[in-house]
Amino acid sequence: MEILLEEKEDEGRDTEQKELIHQELLEVEKTVNINITSPEDTPFGWTKPVNLSECPSSYQHNSPQEKQLLVIADNFSSQYSHIFPNRKPLFLCPLNECGVKKFVSTSLRSTMLPYSGLYDWDNCASFVADHLVVQALDPPIEPPRRLISPTLLLQTQTGTCFDISGLLCSLLLGAGYDAYCVTGYAVREMCLLDQSREECPLLVGEVQVKVEGTSAEDERQVRRYAVKPPRELRSNFERAQQDLKQQEARAELLRRQQEAQRLQEELERPPPDPLQGQMLHCWVLVLAGKREIRDHFFIDPLTGKSYALGDKSFLGVEALWNQHNYWVNMQDCCHGCSDMEYNLGDTTMWESVLFTVTEKEEEEEEEEGWSEEPKPFEMPRSWVDTITLSKQDLERRWPGGSRSTQYRKAKLERFAPYLLPDGLVTRLTTYTDLECEEVDVVREWYQNRLDHLEERELQRASSVTVERFSPGCKLKLKTHSYVSLAPGTERRMDFHSKACPDGLLRRAESPGQMEETFDHRDDLLYSRHVFYARSPEGGSEEPGGRPLERVVERFHRDAAKAPREDVAERVFLFAEGSVEVTFHLEDDRIIPVRRSFVKPRVLPDGQRAESWRPGMVTSYQGDPHEDPPKNVYLYEMLTALMEEEEKVALQIKHSETQVREILATREREERNPELRISIYDTARNEKVQRYREDMIRAQEESQKQVKKEIDLLAPFLARLGDPQVLSPQQAERVLEDCLANQRMRMIEQDKILQARYEKETRALQHEQQLYQINQLNMSKEEEERYHAFCSETVFKIGVIKQRQSRHKEITPQKHLALKEKLIRDPRLAPHL
Amino acid sequence: MIRLYGKVEQSVMDEKILQEAVEEQGPKEEAGQISKEEGISFNAVLQLRLEYKNILKIEHLWEFTSLTKLQLNNNLIQKIEGLANLTNIKWLDLSFNNIEKIEGLETLTKLEDLTFYNNRISCIENMDTLNNLTFFAIGNNCLGQLDNVIYLRRFKNLHTLNLAGNPLAQEANYKLFIAAYLSDLAYLDYRLLNGETKKQAFAKYQYAIEEIRHNELQTLKATEAEQKRQEELQQHKDAFVEYLNGSQLFDSMVAQDPEAQKLNQLPGVADLLLTFKPQLVGLCIQMFESGFAEQKLREAEVKAFLEVLQEAVREKQQRSAQLVSDFEKHRKKRILELKQVEDAAKQEAQVNQYMADIKTLCDSCLLLELQLVDQMEEIIKDFERNITDMIGSFIETVQGLYLFHTIGHSNLYYAPAPLCRDLENHLHEEIKDIAMATLEKVAKNEVEDDLPDDVRALFVDKETIMNAVGASHDSHMLRIDNREDKLVTRINAWIMNLIKKIQDEEVWRNRKCISEIQYFIQHLRNQLEEVLHHE
Repeated sequence: MEILLEEKEDEGRDTEQKELIHQELLEVEKTVNINITSPEDTPFGWTKPVNLSECPSSYQHNSPQEKQLLVIADNFSSQYSHIFPNRKPLFLCPLNECGVKKFVSTSLRSTMLPYSGLYDWDNCASFVADHLVVQALDPPIEPPRRLISPTLLLQTQTGTCFDISGLLCSLLLGAGYDAYCVTGYAVREMCLLDQSREECPLLVGEVQVKVEGTSAEDERQVRRYAVKPPRELRSNFERAQQDLKQQEARAELLRRQQEAQRLQEELERPPPDPLQGQMLHCWVLVLAGKREIRDHFFIDPLTGKSYALGDKSFLGVEALWNQHNYWVNMQDCCHGCSDMEYNLGDTTMWESVLFTVTEKEEEEEEEEGWSEEPKPFEMPRSWVDTITLSKQDLERRWPGGSRSTQYRKAKLERFAPYLLPDGLVTRLTTYTDLECEEVDVVREWYQNRLDHLEERELQRASSVTVERFSPGCKLKLKTHSYVSLAPGTERRMDFHSKACPDGLLRRAESPGQMEETFDHRDDLLYSRHVFYARSPEGGSEEPGGRPLERVVERFHRDAAKAPREDVAERVFLFAEGSVEVTFHLEDDRIIPVRRSFVKPRVLPDGQRAESWRPGMVTSYQGDPHEDPPKNVYLYEMLTALMEEEEKVALQIKHSETQVREILATREREERNPELRISIYDTARNEKVQRYREDMIRAQEESQKQVKKEIDLLAPFLARLGDPQVLSPQQAERVLEDCLANQRMRMIEQDKILQARYEKETRALQHEQQLYQINQLNMSKEEEERYHAFCSETVFKIGVIKQRQSRHKEITPQKHLALKEKLIRDPRLAPHL
Repeated sequence: MIRLYGKVEQSVMDEKILQEAVEEQGPKEEAGQISKEEGISFNAVLQLRLEYKNILKIEHLWEFTSLTKLQLNNNLIQKIEGLANLTNIKWLDLSFNNIEKIEGLETLTKLEDLTFYNNRISCIENMDTLNNLTFFAIGNNCLGQLDNVIYLRRFKNLHTLNLAGNPLAQEANYKLFIAAYLSDLAYLDYRLLNGETKKQAFAKYQYAIEEIRHNELQTLKATEAEQKRQEELQQHKDAFVEYLNGSQLFDSMVAQDPEAQKLNQLPGVADLLLTFKPQLVGLCIQMFESGFAEQKLREAEVKAFLEVLQEAVREKQQRSAQLVSDFEKHRKKRILELKQVEDAAKQEAQVNQYMADIKTLCDSCLLLELQLVDQMEEIIKDFERNITDMIGSFIETVQGLYLFHTIGHSNLYYAPAPLCRDLENHLHEEIKDIAMATLEKVAKNEVEDDLPDDVRALFVDKETIMNAVGASHDSHMLRIDNREDKLVTRINAWIMNLIKKIQDEEVWRNRKCISEIQYFIQHLRNQLEEVLHHE
């Protein structure tokens, strides 16, 4: 009742202020176009239904210690408002989800979750930021009236910045950090989680990488000798004039650029904030000292980013708390938080709610053994239940498994793995304009794709798509850029050259041309450029392939051959029926050896129509002093080249089919994207799951079988032909038979024992008789053996006797037991 | 085994046989036709088969210099000869002949595959130079000594060996012996030597093998050490300070001095020499070290110069090659166009244009070359000046050490060090004093008796002793002068050679380049003429 009354009072006091602020907030909402879930819709803005009555009792009641604490807090609060009438009332004892007043420090429940991914502060903070939906404060300058527990927060995934800070702080404390919740003032963008003026973090990373790439270059040794450049016959005056002009042009250009930049900045500047410095926020402070943290820093729980203490986004600190205490800031925050000190033991800077002893004092006290003063009041245990997080929630990360964030000229959408059927995990859309209407580039990242697609980039302006694949792709593709997947259009495919048997590195196609680049080939071929002849009907694509016009092949230098015999380039002029060969340059020459062959005409049946004549070859020799090559040599070369030409034509055909196959496969894969599921992923891999279930079932069954008892009646029933229902006579007979059978077996056992007894006794007697006869002329060894035999046999006889007596004892018992069992048997029982 | 060659007709390896063989084994079909018309030159033949020809003597093969495979099996050859010119040969088959001795293979260092199957060879020898041998067949011969096989250890690549049919193959431990001594061998008599056999063989001949290995290692080490020493000496010689890193100069001074023996007997002289030697050696070592340091500097200088030189040449070559290839790109099209033009006047104009373009190409190539020549000339001059300066300063340093301190400025470098000649002069004075004192003593007859007679003979009068001391001094001075002269002459010769070589190379390069350009231009013009003429 008390609480309710208080609540009403609060409301009454706040109404006027609220009206004013609400108007301002509406303006803010107009200018900043973001979705803030309005708390008016549902009681707490929870998206999921929550049954509050299931809460543990600590949620619904206060323990005596907690009540005492509330009294202390009340006292502190009233003193505080008396001393500092100008300062805002403290955020000390908000209501929890069950409407019970709780001290803020007890809402922190230090917990370490069993996931290694949440052990470090950065991962933990980004997870918390990702996992929860922020509810804006209403009004934005007042603290919330309710502070829900971290457990409920994890259930509903919706909360204010205070709730979220509480959860993050609990997790960080659990992970061993010296963490505090901080309440204070921050800029509008931070309070409302408006990132539309920030650069997307994915894009920022890229720019940095590029800068690093270019900086590490240009180191040249100073040389003692240098050739003088040839004299230039130009007027120095003219050059000077030109330089002057160029400089002016450059200066002009620079000025314009700067102007443009200034204008741009002007345009992007946010509208002025009427609540500047008043918007309340709650975030987390991590102090140095624990977990190898060197410097203090802030974490914004809404984005999960860390900030230096002096960051301009934070405008002031009101108070901070952890699970042990609550400290009120006594320092001036007019100029932001940059000058703040975080020595919490210093009472001139920080006023604590509870009296605490520093560790040093504690030690001193312990040495004294006991203190005269009564023990200071200690913070009671947290009322919050253990914080738990399911593995599924951890994997899904975002509420509902996805989230979309607006950045400056960019939109970032994230999805949990396996959420979407095509394996999309990230989509980054960049825009050319600030209003985000003109799409520039769409980049998509995939995970666990069976076709190893990793990234796809679509440039809207040129409508070029670039796909990147991870190693292991069945098509050996590395990247593939294209406009459309139809064959014959412009495209470029990069391959993993080591995986391709022909060392293919890249294949670029454009209308009428195809260029293939190779790597690490035995024949040192590194490029093949195909020019297609224009087909007369223009664009009729038959599977036989387009007619070739010419093919240019280039080779690396083969050190094993002489340069003038090592082919550097060969051009097959299919249309002209000739071949041109250029050899590698010799070290100190400038003109390579060249030969061009005119192919002899070939009849349709494959026979050559012409015989060799020297005129078929024209060559540039290079060395005037060398003898011209023999005709045989040239003839053989021509023959070889003609064979090669056929091979090359085949190769090109092969490449064309390969391209078509790749495109068909890609299209198929795109139409039905399949995801790869690891065999260790028992939750998703159906095969493994089924196998596991089978295993469990098989195990259970085998256990069942072992347990099943042996059916004693089975053989006797079988003798009667396994009747479904037994007649009384039959039952009687089965019972009789069964008992008789047991009796027989018992007698047989007895007989066996008796026979064994007799056999041993006979053997003993026999030995004894022998001993009697030969006793005198027996060696010592034989005598010993005799004694050993005797003692062993006597022992055996003893054992047999024992067994016999026990058998006699047991037989009637067994008989009775069996009889009882049989009488109770469901098949016989009705008749007996 | 013994061939009855009385009955068959012996033939001589004359040109006809060779020609026939070459033509028969040469290219076939159309290529054969062409080559026959043109004639085959022997020095281009790669393979030659001369089997079953009853050849008695290997002759007239000197022209087949590029031959890689030669088959002379199944002939009547008795002596291996006339193969010295076939240096490219890799495969030589001399099986089924009457050869008795392995010889005449010294120059065939590329030989990999050698067959002597079915001959009368009794000893494996004269094959030291065949380092690349991998296959060796000498079955069905008269080899009797198993130890002879050890000779084959020197062929590290030997892979397959055939010895079957020799008397030595009858010996009981034949296989194990060979497996042990030729441990890298994979096939013996066309059968694989498996690991088991090799293990057994090693177990059996372990001690012998180890000894042999040890000896081989020792020789190897010795040759390596010798090589290293030679290299070091060569290095010293390159630095012009050989034999200066020890007491060699002093030793040679003493050794060449006729009177030294006698004078050393004088009391006090031995002590003097004891102090003199380390001083002189110290100076020598100082010289040695400075020589070495100077050589390093010179090498760096030469390297830096050559790098720049090569780069300039390369750059110019690239530019000229670019010019030429740009021209070549359009040449074909232009010639085709020329052919197609009907109008004579138009054609004339185009031809003129083409000729003009050829001229431009020629001019620009030559201009580039000319520029390079200028640049080279200048840079070579620079280099010559620098290197001469370096040499000069080195010589001065060395002479500074040698000379008496009359050359003032060189003393600046090594002022505190007593210089060689100074040292020698000093020694001379001391010895003179001792000699004079001894002379006085001799005159007064106060000398100890242990002075030998021939030494005593020097002291008959003042002139004799002074002459002896003087001669010793002169001889010492001569050694020092000689060493100095040697150094200076050699260093001057080196620099002259170096500069001359660089200049010669430059001239040669220039000529080659110009002739290449001209040849190419000529080629272009000829082609044009041909096209025009054709029409």
